[in-house]
Amino acid sequence: MILSDLLGSEVVDAAGHHLGALIDVRLEISGAPHQLLAETVVVGILVSPHSRTSTWGFERRGANAPAIIARPQHWLHRGMFLIAWTDVAQIDEGRVTLRDGYERRDPVLASTAHPH
Amino acid sequence: MRRIFAVALGILTAIGGFVDIGDLVTNAIVGSRFGLGLAWVVLVGVVGICVYAQMSGRVAAVSGRATFEIIRERLGPRAGLANLGASFLINLLTVTAEIGGVALSLQLATSVDPLLWVPVAAFGVWIVIWRARFKLLENVTGLLGLTLIVFAVALFMLSPDWGSLAGQALQPGPPADEQMSTYWFYAIALFGAAMTPYEVFFFSSGAIEEKWTEKDLATSRANVLVGFPLGGVLSIAIAGCAAVVLLPASIDVTSLSQVVLPVAEAGGKLALSFAIVGILAATFGAALETTLSSGYTLAQYFGWSWGKFRRPAKAARFHLAMIICIFVAMAILATGVDPILVTEYSVVFSAVALPLTYLPILIIANDREYMGDKVNGRAMNLIGSVYLVVILVAAIAAIPLLIVTGAGS
Amino acid sequence: MNDPHRPAGRVLDAHLHILDRQVLDRDGVPVTTVDDLELDGIEPGAPIEPDAPPPTVAAILTGPDLATRIFGGRPPESRHIRIPWKLVSEVGTTIRLGITGYILDATWTERWVSEHIIARIPGGRHDPE
Repeated sequence: MILSDLLGSEVVDAAGHHLGALIDVRLEISGAPHQLLAETVVVGILVSPHSRTSTWGFERRGANAPAIIARPQHWLHRGMFLIAWTDVAQIDEGRVTLRDGYERRDPVLASTAHPH
Repeated sequence: MRRIFAVALGILTAIGGFVDIGDLVTNAIVGSRFGLGLAWVVLVGVVGICVYAQMSGRVAAVSGRATFEIIRERLGPRAGLANLGASFLINLLTVTAEIGGVALSLQLATSVDPLLWVPVAAFGVWIVIWRARFKLLENVTGLLGLTLIVFAVALFMLSPDWGSLAGQALQPGPPADEQMSTYWFYAIALFGAAMTPYEVFFFSSGAIEEKWTEKDLATSRANVLVGFPLGGVLSIAIAGCAAVVLLPASIDVTSLSQVVLPVAEAGGKLALSFAIVGILAATFGAALETTLSSGYTLAQYFGWSWGKFRRPAKAARFHLAMIICIFVAMAILATGVDPILVTEYSVVFSAVALPLTYLPILIIANDREYMGDKVNGRAMNLIGSVYLVVILVAAIAAIPLLIVTGAGS
Repeated sequence: MNDPHRPAGRVLDAHLHILDRQVLDRDGVPVTTVDDLELDGIEPGAPIEPDAPPPTVAAILTGPDLATRIFGGRPPESRHIRIPWKLVSEVGTTIRLGITGYILDATWTERWVSEHIIARIPGGRHDPE
């Protein structure tokens, strides 16, 4: 499966109620060790109730500057949540169905500061 | 001592490099029609280009990423491609205008038809890009461009009525015989001439060509904050000369010979030859910068290998793209189109394309993943946000004003 | 491993941190841009078993995938140009590979232009002066 086929998919709960759009896929570099880098696994999906496109991650990094850009971004992605991959029941073309009793998790990334 | 020399050299090249055919023509036209009534726009543009260049230079030095890589990364492929298309087209227009400007200044010096000079100018641009080291190319054209100071000297030699010039500058607004819409159209053209995106593509890619690190940031800041404003002073001097000589005589600027007329009147043949050398160097230097910028933007969007620090065979698509650009510019000029006219359009479209180029840099300059603790401070974000609004307003107003005023005619 | 509150390794978001970033080879030479990512272990239309292993990143896609991301559609399977994810050595503001990029399929246009055009122009193989 190709990442861009997933991005923008509609996310629904087990009963088929609309929850939002899949705007990003959370990864973790933590799988089986390879020669260069450990395997990179999918641990969850990010769902935004009000916007179909992921933009600049202001809402996930807790970034507030500059306000002229950050404010509208936080507003656009208000109510965003993370769904663990284990809570995903099925992927169809353009549609992601969650399991019964899925849990909305905090989408904020731990500090990803990675200066050069 | 070496360091002081390096800073001085950088400042001098920034002054010489600031003025290109767009600044020359637009300032002369504006001076001949509005006097110094639009000098404030040069001021706004200079501060804007300082802010923009400072941020993109800092991003390049700290993160090692050039401006168009950032644009692609933040805007994604679609909006990035729209931006690439617009920036590339404007760049191509500007390459055409600059090569045309080189040919016109050679015509001023030799009276040989500029169409015959076009292939010579184009070949000259290509061979320098193909063979010369980046540093050499940047310094020589920047230093020769300094001879444009003759415009400032000429303004003093014309011994104008300083009080009336200051009056024009301090009471902005169109003269009685000009429309308000024309005034604002030229305000945007002047803003676009001062804040051309190619300067930033060139500046940020140049930082990577020269392998800047965080240690070079102080030098870069000095170059920008001293060099560009002095370049702006030169721009205002060009407008001032036109205001003193051309405005009272109601001479419309339609060619380079009218741009240099005040200099000839003030200082005779010697001053004129300085002006011609200056224009030749400024346009040739800008032709190099714009051609390189075409290569930089394409390569950085697609992720190709680029840079003059590599031999051409190691950055093949980058060099091929520039060769094609030079050929296209020659083909456009061969149709006999007036380079002055091309210039007038290219500066207006520069203003239109600016927001999409400026926004990603403002975002990344605040991103700790790229910048660590070198992110924008509060003051920088305040002025950066103000300029985001200014740039947006100018971009939105540009095309309607272009149509309403019939390109200022 | 699947509890996002207790990450076992570095956590990052595919679109935000990987898509459209520059790929550099072992020597820092640009190879391409990440035009798309291929994920292994997702079967569209089939229920995901609760104990199934999580999907993994399989490859960086480039070339025709850029055009389809811009204009829509999908290139035929054979047209994908893949850089296997196991060649990646570091994910930062750029994606670093652990090998030289010159041998990859992703750089064939660069090689072609270099060999057939640029290297044949005098001075094309020399450092600038």
